Amino acid sequence: MSWFQDLSTRAKLFCGFGLVIFFLAVVIVAAIRNVTSMGETRDEIFYHEFANTTDVLTMKGKLESARVGLFTMIAADGRTEQEARRAMIKEVNSSIDSLFRILYDRNRDEPEITRLVEELERTYADYRDARDRQLLPLVYSGKKDEAMSMAMGVQADRYAKMASLVSDLEGVMKTKALGHISVSSAEASRYVTLFIVLGLAAIIISGFVALTLNRFIAAPLREISDAAARVASGDLTVNIRSLGRKDETGVLSETFARMVERLKKQTIDLSEAISVLASSSNEIAATTSELASGTEQTAIAVSETTTTVEEVKQTANVSSQKAKHVSEIALGAAQVSQNGTRLVKETLEGIGNIKEQVEYIAGTIIKLAEHNQAIGEIIAAVDDIAEQANLLAVNASIEASKAGEHGKGFMIVAQEIKSMSELSKQATKQVRSILNDIQKSSSAAVLATERGSKAVEATVRQSSGTGETIQKLAGSINEASQAVIQIAASSQQQLIGMDQVAVAMNSIKQATTQNAASTKQVEITIRNLQELGSRLKEMVRHYRV
Amino acid sequence: MKKDTIDWNAIKERIKKAEEAASGRPGSLSPAETLEKRARALAVPSGPAHGEAGEEGVRAVVFTLGGERFAIESVYMAEVALSTEIVPVPCTPEFVLGIVRLRGDIISVIDLRKFFELPEKGLSDMTRLLVLSNGEMRFGVLADTVEGVEEIRMEELKKLPTLSGVRGEYLAGVSVKGMTVLDGGKLLADRSIIINEMAD
Repeated sequence: MSWFQDLSTRAKLFCGFGLVIFFLAVVIVAAIRNVTSMGETRDEIFYHEFANTTDVLTMKGKLESARVGLFTMIAADGRTEQEARRAMIKEVNSSIDSLFRILYDRNRDEPEITRLVEELERTYADYRDARDRQLLPLVYSGKKDEAMSMAMGVQADRYAKMASLVSDLEGVMKTKALGHISVSSAEASRYVTLFIVLGLAAIIISGFVALTLNRFIAAPLREISDAAARVASGDLTVNIRSLGRKDETGVLSETFARMVERLKKQTIDLSEAISVLASSSNEIAATTSELASGTEQTAIAVSETTTTVEEVKQTANVSSQKAKHVSEIALGAAQVSQNGTRLVKETLEGIGNIKEQVEYIAGTIIKLAEHNQAIGEIIAAVDDIAEQANLLAVNASIEASKAGEHGKGFMIVAQEIKSMSELSKQATKQVRSILNDIQKSSSAAVLATERGSKAVEATVRQSSGTGETIQKLAGSINEASQAVIQIAASSQQQLIGMDQVAVAMNSIKQATTQNAASTKQVEITIRNLQELGSRLKEMVRHYRV
Repeated sequence: MKKDTIDWNAIKERIKKAEEAASGRPGSLSPAETLEKRARALAVPSGPAHGEAGEEGVRAVVFTLGGERFAIESVYMAEVALSTEIVPVPCTPEFVLGIVRLRGDIISVIDLRKFFELPEKGLSDMTRLLVLSNGEMRFGVLADTVEGVEEIRMEELKKLPTLSGVRGEYLAGVSVKGMTVLDGGKLLADRSIIINEMAD
């Protein structure tokens, strides 16, 4: 069988299917022949027996209708109507004649049928002659009863004969048809037997061919397909046996083995590559995650910074306004300080007046004190006089007491003088104490005036100091207002700068947001990649190499 | 500030009042005050020492010395004067302070506190000179003040036993009011007071 093995699959298939086709052709030829013979038989039956029968039956009908037409004609009254019937009968006669010719033509080989048809024709000819020559003139001449009796008489007999002849014809034809059918069915059963034999032979040969093809094509293919299935399930450890054949199967097995080998190598390479890819994608994912969180933090920070910048901007705005306000205030303060300087000058003048007044008061008080002193001296003199008067009174009373009764009146005078002197002494004492008080008061007043004068001097000094201070303050306020104006300008610039910073921060914020979104996208992509890597890994893991 | 403002009107009012008072015009004292003052002045001489009891009593000059009141019968009293410059005299007893000139006379002056060996308590200016005299003897004693002449009932005087020692004989007694009444006669008659001119 080695030669068969080495045949190409096409050749093998040609051989196997050629055998089957040959048997199939034999069966087909037999069948064609059978079908042709069956068709002939059927044609015979259809074109002879069936047509004969039909024609005979048609003829029977025509005869019937001719007869009915005659009766109708007899019964008819008008000439025109009789003529119409006559025309119809003539038409029926012509068709009956044509039917006779057909029957003759068809059954030239059938002597029995031809004989029966000739007898029928003859009878019909008699019937037609009798009708046309005897009966119709009777009808035309109006002799209906005669015509009727003739029709019911001789003509009816002839018609009955025709009917029986037609029945005979029918029977013969039926017998002929049955014969043909039986021949045909016998032939059919013979062909059935032939088909069974041929079919069985064809089945056996086909089975043999199938088995052989199976053994030489399907079995090795199955082996390879099993191996392919294992490869498909990931087992690359399959060992393809070399068939040592030169046909397509052999080539296939060798190619398959090479393919598996190649696949194995590629799978190993792929697995390594996937490992690298997976680890790389993991690392990238981690990095991207960090990057994403970093970007998020950056975004938050940028957001916070933006807010802060906004706040700083607000603050700068406020400070700018404040600076403007302060510069206005400073201008007002400068005005106020100038007023203050003027007022201090006026105050100084006023204090100078007060000083003069105080000095005048002091002088007056000193004069008062001096007057007091004079009064004191006068009072001392008065005191002295009172003392003397007292002593004089005492002496007078002593003298009076010495004078006894005569000095009694004088004694009273002396007593009066003494009491007066005591009164004046008391008065001088009071005056002295009052003077003392006045002296003390004036001393206190002098002291107070001195203090006032000193206070005035101090106030003058302080006021001049205040004036200088206010002058300095005015200068400082002027400088401050200049500085404040500069600050206002600076804060305006700062505000503009802060605006620019805010715009920049907004741009950064947008960029950061986009960055974050992009990072998120990248993260998602990386995750997909990671997933892909792990899936690939999983897939590769299925391969056993 | 309200405290510092001066009510010049009130001050002017007060000054005007003071000026009125100084010029002695009426209005400086109310009439009631003037009347009361006069009444009091008249009331002083009409004391109990000046009433109907004058017949039995002795008139005496009352003076103070070192816070204590003394009295000497006015019979022995020559005059009362202001003590002028006392010139100390050597070789005299301790109680003799010296001599003074009074209207051309030389009078010796005695310190009664030393004479009676009384303790020298209290302030004493001794500005008064009381001149005692009985016609033949004449000397002065110093006093702080001279109150005047009063009536003293001799029978009401009490003898002080404590002073009966050294110079008890010169004491007439102590009055009801706690006033020491000296016996001027005995003082003038005392020999020890007479200064011995032959001392040296």
